[in-house]
Amino acid sequence: MAGKSHKREQTGALSIKNVTKIYDPSGVNVKAVDDCSMEIAAGEVCMIVGPSGCGKTTLLNAIAGFHSITEGSIHLDGDLLCGPGKPKAEQSAERMVVFQHGALFPWKTLQENVAYGPTVQSAMSAGEAMEKAGQMLAEAGLGQFIKKYPGEVSSGMARRAEIVRALINDPKVLLLDEPYRAMDALTKQIMHESLLETYDRTGVTIFFITHDLEEAIFLGDKVHVVTTRPCQLKKTVEVRIPRPRSFETQSSEEFRTLLEEVNEAVHEEAVKAFQAGEREMA
Amino acid sequence: MNQVSATKGHMNSKPEGFELFLLRLRKKMVSIDPYLTVAGIGLWLFAYWVLCEGLEIWRFTKLPGPVAISKDWFSTTPFQGISIFTQEYYDHIFVSCQRILFAFGLATGLGVPLGLFMGWSRKIRDYVFPIIETLRPIPILAWVPLSILLLPGFEGPVIFLATLASFFVTTLNAMLGVDSIDEEYFRAAGCLGSSRWDIFRHVVVPGALPFIFTGLQISIGVAWFSLVAAEMVSGDLGLGYLIVDAYMNNVTVPMVIAMITLGFIGYFSSACVRTLGNTLMAWHVKELAQQGR
Repeated sequence: MAGKSHKREQTGALSIKNVTKIYDPSGVNVKAVDDCSMEIAAGEVCMIVGPSGCGKTTLLNAIAGFHSITEGSIHLDGDLLCGPGKPKAEQSAERMVVFQHGALFPWKTLQENVAYGPTVQSAMSAGEAMEKAGQMLAEAGLGQFIKKYPGEVSSGMARRAEIVRALINDPKVLLLDEPYRAMDALTKQIMHESLLETYDRTGVTIFFITHDLEEAIFLGDKVHVVTTRPCQLKKTVEVRIPRPRSFETQSSEEFRTLLEEVNEAVHEEAVKAFQAGEREMA
Repeated sequence: MNQVSATKGHMNSKPEGFELFLLRLRKKMVSIDPYLTVAGIGLWLFAYWVLCEGLEIWRFTKLPGPVAISKDWFSTTPFQGISIFTQEYYDHIFVSCQRILFAFGLATGLGVPLGLFMGWSRKIRDYVFPIIETLRPIPILAWVPLSILLLPGFEGPVIFLATLASFFVTTLNAMLGVDSIDEEYFRAAGCLGSSRWDIFRHVVVPGALPFIFTGLQISIGVAWFSLVAAEMVSGDLGLGYLIVDAYMNNVTVPMVIAMITLGFIGYFSSACVRTLGNTLMAWHVKELAQQGR
């Protein structure tokens, strides 16, 4: 893995051990996650792949601190996030989330959005934060749009800005919940390249949920295939394609083999999910 | 290329400020919209005239037609006492407007914070919402006797009633405004390290603002409605009082003049609220514009 950030030692190792999550909507127990375990090394790009509605978002929500877990534990760099006695993790800028439908505040300009994190955490003064925000947005190619509102820019730009908003807080882990789901294929390509470039620069641990297999293999170091509900780790495929990667990688022999491997595992689960009539949770 | 720039005249650079205003005005004038508006008003006036004075149909003879109205309204010596040249007319308008400003201001000042807190905190909502929802359906005029007993003088009950009506609308809309905010914004704010107060300032208030302003436009209309009704029952000045007084004294022209005046003032006050809303929520206006609205 190339290009690690020189400003931070390797942090952001996630350890998910035997996590179970049981919802109780309308009094009917729903087991979203069942005894799921996975290890994510610091600085790794970890892709979670599985059929819709299988509980992957629940896992992300547990790490981010939006939901509690029923059993098991999650550790970040050895510190307990949630586990026995502490079912819900605190929300923290260490674990920044980029949301599926985009959650830039519509009432703030892109620059104000990005500057928000450091300002409310009192990590920087408002002026400094705005300046740094402007800088980072320019680096991401959005320099001309920093004074625009999210409603005025395209979804691709908004998503990039959201990632910048997450990264300005120097998080240990970046949690992405199918962020490029609603985009057309061409925008997606640009997004991928942008994310890879960002990763090469900062080396942040990435926990990325997707159902797009090619995206998973193109971006990831490891692809974890999870089963349909209740979510369990089914198979882990290691992607040894060297970085930096470009879109030509997608036509290589190695890529195709890996794609086949992942596809086999996912397809089985997808059929099961379809037959079980899973209601898409998205 | 040169020819194109020449015909476009001073539009080589993007127009700003006054130029932009003129450009927009010009565009408006060549479109059919303003002419349709004028035609619509003309048609309505014509129908009104035909009913009351032209053909004098049935009971419409009891109402003053547009000719009779304008004769009095715009004359220096109005036959039935009220015209734009009489001081009395402006006294009534001034008193009503003053009351509305006070009532609306009070209702908004109380209603918006209460509604926001109710939306934000489950506890506050559980305590307050049932009370408000039970009081809200009581018609405003049903409060008249109670307000007369409770508050001394004339002004008190009148303003109380207008405030009450406006208050309920504003509170409910503010609360629903908070409800309308997507959960993901709260989560994003939480992730970014906001305190509860930060979330209130940066998510709850701006997020609920569109709903609040919709509510304010309705609430000012409701305030006017209640005010005029209250003035009719227990006032000594004001447009509502003027209407009832004119009716009692069998002069119908001031009655209609007062109604039309109310219409104009109401339109103007709603427009003020709308404009204020659009100014504060430039982001919302631009977002809607992007969608083609």
